[in-house]
Amino acid sequence: MLSGLANPRQAAVQLMNFGLILSTAFMMWKGISVITDSPSPIVVVLSGSMEPAFQRGDLLFLWNRNVLAETSVGEIVVYNVKGKDIPIVHRIVRKFGKGPEAKLLTKGDNNVSDDTELYASGQDYLVRNDIIGSVFAYIPFVGYVTILLSEHPWLKTVMLGLMGLVVVLQRE
Amino acid sequence: MASTEKITVYNVADLRATTDDALVNYLNSLGLVQSHTLLDTRLALGFSAFLLSAACFAWDYKFGFESTKQYTLIAVILYTLLNGALTYWIMFVERGTIYVGSTKDGKTRVRLISDSKKPQQKGEAPLYKLRVDVEDVKTGKKEKIELERKFSEWFDASGRFVAAPFQTVLAQRIPLVGKLDPKRAVVAAAPSSEQNVIREQFAETPGYTAEILDAIASGLGESSTTTAATTGSSANQDAGKKRRK
Amino acid sequence: MYTSVVRLQNVFGFFTTVAFVVAAFIAASDFLTERAPIVRTLKTTSVQVVRGRPHYYSSKKEEYAVINFSLDADLSSLFTWNTKQVFVYVTAEWPAADHAKTNATNEAVIWDTIITSPSADHLANIGPVAMKKLRKSAGGKSIDPNRGKLSLKNQRHKYKITHPSGKLAMTDNVTLRLHYNVQPWVGLLTWDQDVDYGYWKALKNGVSKRFKLPAIKEKKPASAGAR
Repeated sequence: MLSGLANPRQAAVQLMNFGLILSTAFMMWKGISVITDSPSPIVVVLSGSMEPAFQRGDLLFLWNRNVLAETSVGEIVVYNVKGKDIPIVHRIVRKFGKGPEAKLLTKGDNNVSDDTELYASGQDYLVRNDIIGSVFAYIPFVGYVTILLSEHPWLKTVMLGLMGLVVVLQRE
Repeated sequence: MASTEKITVYNVADLRATTDDALVNYLNSLGLVQSHTLLDTRLALGFSAFLLSAACFAWDYKFGFESTKQYTLIAVILYTLLNGALTYWIMFVERGTIYVGSTKDGKTRVRLISDSKKPQQKGEAPLYKLRVDVEDVKTGKKEKIELERKFSEWFDASGRFVAAPFQTVLAQRIPLVGKLDPKRAVVAAAPSSEQNVIREQFAETPGYTAEILDAIASGLGESSTTTAATTGSSANQDAGKKRRK
Repeated sequence: MYTSVVRLQNVFGFFTTVAFVVAAFIAASDFLTERAPIVRTLKTTSVQVVRGRPHYYSSKKEEYAVINFSLDADLSSLFTWNTKQVFVYVTAEWPAADHAKTNATNEAVIWDTIITSPSADHLANIGPVAMKKLRKSAGGKSIDPNRGKLSLKNQRHKYKITHPSGKLAMTDNVTLRLHYNVQPWVGLLTWDQDVDYGYWKALKNGVSKRFKLPAIKEKKPASAGAR
């Protein structure tokens, strides 16, 4: 097992294999990003504001191109607010006008009031550019792993370490 | 001459990798000059793909998605091509090649391709498949040798690699190796080769148990030089029996 | 050590593969079930425009349209084994100021409701009494298409609507439109459609007659509940 590492070429191959696993995962993510035109095409639901449709830990797939029709009322979108790190998943309930300048208002299905409070101060509406994608597909639970990982950061280290160990120590 | 490192005998990938390593070391020790072109090309392809994705990661991290998405698109396409080329290289050019080398005089080139195979019967040791291409550089004449042997011939039950029987197999079956390592070839030429032939023949015929084969083998193994090789394999068959229970 | 790790890996790998294949089949089964939603009636019962403030402390006065309506619709075919909930909403749509040039419109939800499938009842955000009633209504079934039959008479609006300009009175060519969004247990989210796709038929008769918003009704300017 370890004797392979004594040979520099063998060591380089094993290092490369590990690097390629990481980079392939990253490039697949970027590939999906480019195809869907969304900086983060797959998101995990973090809050219950869209219950019962989405629970914490559900996985959402986003599409951010207006090919056939514009983003319109009733779609569930993920948007960013200036000055806030965490994107929000809510439904569009009002749309005034058309095109990139159209004013959009969102609301969580499970919330009593609309999102005006959540927007940046002085901002009453979203525009198309604030949106990073519309939800088009859904898988339950799967994203819970990432919630666990972000709530217990040591798990991340352990997992990455184990992965590296397996790849480096095991050939083929 | 058993190596000190132990491996798990149930891990076929490990068996094969250890055997491959030993094979490479053995051939190099015989004075063959190893060529690394195949592996170096693989490394070049793999690392350039990795560096490309690292660069993509860097600009994405620094400048964000929106302003760099054209470059990201190009990087994704290039990465796919590089990775495709790498896969092609591994599957259709390297094809499991573990050694490319030539004799010191440069007259003969040799290439070895290895693979592992599941045993035909449950409880038996898995097989090591080796294909050897020997090419006369001047005439371009190629000779192909294929062999298929049980790993248990050169691994003892505890997972230690035993070099002698392995090298004997090679020296005896590959004329080029036999020429470079006449000692092994000669030792092998006597009863042990006969023994192996018989063992192989009987192994094909159903109805012969390991015990009977051992009995035949020990009946043949009269010369003291062969006993070492025999004990190794019979120990393995004992282990095989235990596993079956 | 080696064998147990490998076995664990294999078991986990096999489990995930099976789970994803099963999920893919469930998601694909949506396309093989017929959908024929139909609206029998969608009409306004009372339309008012009142003046109000976006919130209590605002000094800005805006015009709000208050629209009540009647709806009779059969969306029962949307409820299948892969339906988690159907989000039903009614929007008011009217041409924007520059409609003639750009074809732009304004659209706002005036009423919505979440119809959970009995299999998702436990997730609904309602009180214990209502929950008990909801669960009982399914009668032990895990799929209950009857929940897709809507019959609302003079339904009160849920949201008063406004426009960023603050002007709404006398707006002409307003229509109400029924929409739905089917939320699956796994797979694609789908909305009402204008044309047929395979087994899925377009939503029939989902638009009301055109109507005109009246002039402002001077009443006590209650703080609008819309914001």
